Amino acid sequence: MSTTEKSSPSGNSNSLSLDWWAVIVALLLALAVRFDVLKNVPW
Amino acid sequence: MASSTSLPRVGSDNRLLDALGMVPGVLLLAGIGYAAKILERSVNAYAKAQHWTFPNIEYVLWAILIGLVLSNTLTIPKVFQSGIATYEFWLKLGIVLLGARFVLADVLKLGGISLVLVVVEITLSLALMTLLGRLFKLKPKLTSLLAIGSAVCGVSAIIAAKGAIDADDEDSSFAIAAILALGALSLFTFPAIAHSLHMNDVSYGLWAGLGVDNTAEATAAGALYSDAAGKVAVLAKTARNAMIGFVVLAYAIYWAGRGQAERVTNKAAFLWKKFPKFILGFLVMSVLVGFHWFSKGQVTSLGNLSKWAFLLTFAGVGLRTNFREMSQQGLRPFIVGALGEILIACLTLGLVVGANRIWGL
Repeated sequence: MSTTEKSSPSGNSNSLSLDWWAVIVALLLALAVRFDVLKNVPW
Repeated sequence: MASSTSLPRVGSDNRLLDALGMVPGVLLLAGIGYAAKILERSVNAYAKAQHWTFPNIEYVLWAILIGLVLSNTLTIPKVFQSGIATYEFWLKLGIVLLGARFVLADVLKLGGISLVLVVVEITLSLALMTLLGRLFKLKPKLTSLLAIGSAVCGVSAIIAAKGAIDADDEDSSFAIAAILALGALSLFTFPAIAHSLHMNDVSYGLWAGLGVDNTAEATAAGALYSDAAGKVAVLAKTARNAMIGFVVLAYAIYWAGRGQAERVTNKAAFLWKKFPKFILGFLVMSVLVGFHWFSKGQVTSLGNLSKWAFLLTFAGVGLRTNFREMSQQGLRPFIVGALGEILIACLTLGLVVGANRIWGL
């Protein structure tokens, strides 16, 4: 089972830091879009 | 002094190597995702040109299918593994960015309805899985893990609970295998049932968010129906994920009371530690859009970035689903999981139909 989340003996999971990374990257992308560094992203 | 300055360098070198090691897998995810987009366009165009009656197969399904075929027919080289595992990061990134496509009022309305349904769903699922686990004489902690996995959010919940209730590695891999196998099946069954019932996008999205356990599969199951349904499925699933801390805490207290797990001393810190922080990012994006911080074109760009992130996720869902590996995990937990999931799917469908009557979704 491949997953980026792994549990430590105390039951903590490093998914928390993954969560924060996702938030940080998303906010950076949002800033880039807001200030037109990234324009008209195609789909 | 020398050693104290050289240690962080080694750490950062390792981190750089780890990041570089992810590149091949991420490129594979992107390649599969892009191939899925091309297939969607070209197959549909070809069918139209030939005047064939051919179902419109969306990029979501193509991405999952290509991943499934690759992982079940070939041995994926090790060099790709760490990059493939980043699919969860792309999922969370996609969800945060998706916040830009929700007006805060919608988040509050649909999120509020979802939360009410989530509380009912979690209560029913926990009771049902516990009952089935006892009927089939599964080990009590395996039953707890299956109950948490099916009630809250699949793999993440099982991993979060494993340490908290001091469960065996074997039990958690059984529970994870059962949840993943059933998640893969729900990708095909949920949209088919919804089409036969002519469900609207909001109702179906709520059902997928409540009934499919793993966040990646719930997002994919929603997107397979329609773009709008995918959005609602993510919102409902996010509301469900927000409850993870409370459910895991309740189980930790239960097992600690029986002397079979560590006692939780600081409950508030425990809840914060287990809370999925990406939900905060989702809400921040929605608030920023609510305050008109982005133009209409910029919101579209953010929505498209979210779709690209999800595209990599869907490729990862296919690639990490290995039926051979799952079949080796034992039949009894799978049967309990399957029975539970079928009943939960029926219950959540009933809940959504009821909510539709009350709130007119």
